[in-house]
Amino acid sequence: MTDRTMDDRSFAVAQALILETKKYWTTRLYPALKENYQHKASLQETPPQTVADVQALIGETTDYQVYAWLERHLQRFKYSGRYGLAPYHRERRDELLAPLAEMANSAGLDTDDNFEQPKYYRAVDIHQHPGGVWSAETAGFEYERGARSTTPMMGGKHRDLHQRFTDLVATGGTPSRVLDMGCGFGKSTQPFYETFGEARIDAIDLSQPCVTLGAWTAAQAQAQNTRFRQMSAFETDYKDEEFDLVTSTMLIHELPPPQIDRMFDESLRLLQSGGRMVHLDFHELPDVFSRFIHYGHGRRNNEPFMEPWAEMDVVTVLKEKGFKDVKVHSFSEAEGVDAINSPVWRFPWTVISAVKP
Amino acid sequence: MSTKEQPKQGPEQTFFDEPAVDRVLGVVMALATEVYVLRDRLRTVERQLEKGGQLDRGLLDAEPSLDDLALDAADRETYVAGLMQNLQGLQVSKGAAGAGGKHD
Ligand SMILES: C[S@@+](CC[C@H](N)C(=O)[O-])C[C@H]1O[C@@H](n2cnc3c(N)ncnc32)[C@H](O)[C@@H]1O
Repeated sequence: MTDRTMDDRSFAVAQALILETKKYWTTRLYPALKENYQHKASLQETPPQTVADVQALIGETTDYQVYAWLERHLQRFKYSGRYGLAPYHRERRDELLAPLAEMANSAGLDTDDNFEQPKYYRAVDIHQHPGGVWSAETAGFEYERGARSTTPMMGGKHRDLHQRFTDLVATGGTPSRVLDMGCGFGKSTQPFYETFGEARIDAIDLSQPCVTLGAWTAAQAQAQNTRFRQMSAFETDYKDEEFDLVTSTMLIHELPPPQIDRMFDESLRLLQSGGRMVHLDFHELPDVFSRFIHYGHGRRNNEPFMEPWAEMDVVTVLKEKGFKDVKVHSFSEAEGVDAINSPVWRFPWTVISAVKP
Repeated sequence: MSTKEQPKQGPEQTFFDEPAVDRVLGVVMALATEVYVLRDRLRTVERQLEKGGQLDRGLLDAEPSLDDLALDAADRETYVAGLMQNLQGLQVSKGAAGAGGKHD
């Protein structure tokens, strides 16, 4: 108690204010910017064809400057302002970590204190999270709290998105051996271990604090079928053809293109014949304005690989690797969302799936 | 992790033609957050006092009488002056201005 600079109430209220501001940005500033853009575009002889054309048209307008500033700085306030997620959790370190101590010898958790993080992962504090989602001991808690409002319009219902994705995967059959790559603190893994109770599930991530929290959460949920491990998605220690489902949620856009390539190779190696690979990420952008907005989002959120990943011709890449039934399609994160022409800001949710012949 | 290995922070991203605007806006947002946090605490204190019968909400919310307003007139005047003087560029100390009154 004594060393705290921030009381729980002030933290929660300040975070609620930041979220409310983000909602305004999502539902008012974004539509106004889009309308502005459409008007300007309609006056052009040839409508903008490229991201650079959109930049030339609205990049210097005050509306866009304000929009961009808020996107970057609301995220900064969320993580590291006076009422940020990082300082809040770090000054509560001891209480937060105490319950996790019981995981030390658990069969549900496998971590390595000498784990060598890839260079790209260390180079950038993704999401403007100070130290990334991995270097502070409390990073898993920070990310968990932050993820409750990643998609501002969904409020506390963010789990819906993950459950909807799992439900979609389930329509393709019931897997018995599942790998969730880049599982974070297990938000994407949870609906899998709950939905496929008979399956054995492994969840891997580079972040030790995240997998530890994920394993602890699964233990609280009495999930006996799940194991969390600290491991890289493009370099695992599993044997060939161990899984019939390899999945990930919001992992791919965090990888540099060469590592994406290796992750797909690894998926192919790990799958049994007829096994499926299903990823949920951001990819399909319906028009050049959405593309401009999304690339800007990547820059402002410290996600440098968002753009090259969105540019990747993933269908060709996967076919060339030998996958069959390659499909890439937009995904509605909630009931009734128009993925092609959303009036409010949203992530370009996309499902990428393929089958090993 | 040693400090040597810490990734370099930055670079600063700026969005406005005049980068000072980026920073000033940050101050405004930080202040707005403080105001909201204060507002929340005040409201909570009021609710608790009211519940304990120590606060008469009717009295608190009623329009102040002319006498009440007069009571705080001097405070109001000083407060406004403290704000507005900043907009006038008034100088209160002798200085050595550069060309055109601007300093490098
Ligand atoms: C946006 S989070 C998504 C977490 C989780 N799947 C979810 O839906 O909540 C992306 C995660 O990918 C992890 N990650 C990044 N590169 C990775 C890699 N090469 N191997 C495994 N995980 C990785 C990060 O540590 C982070 O936890």
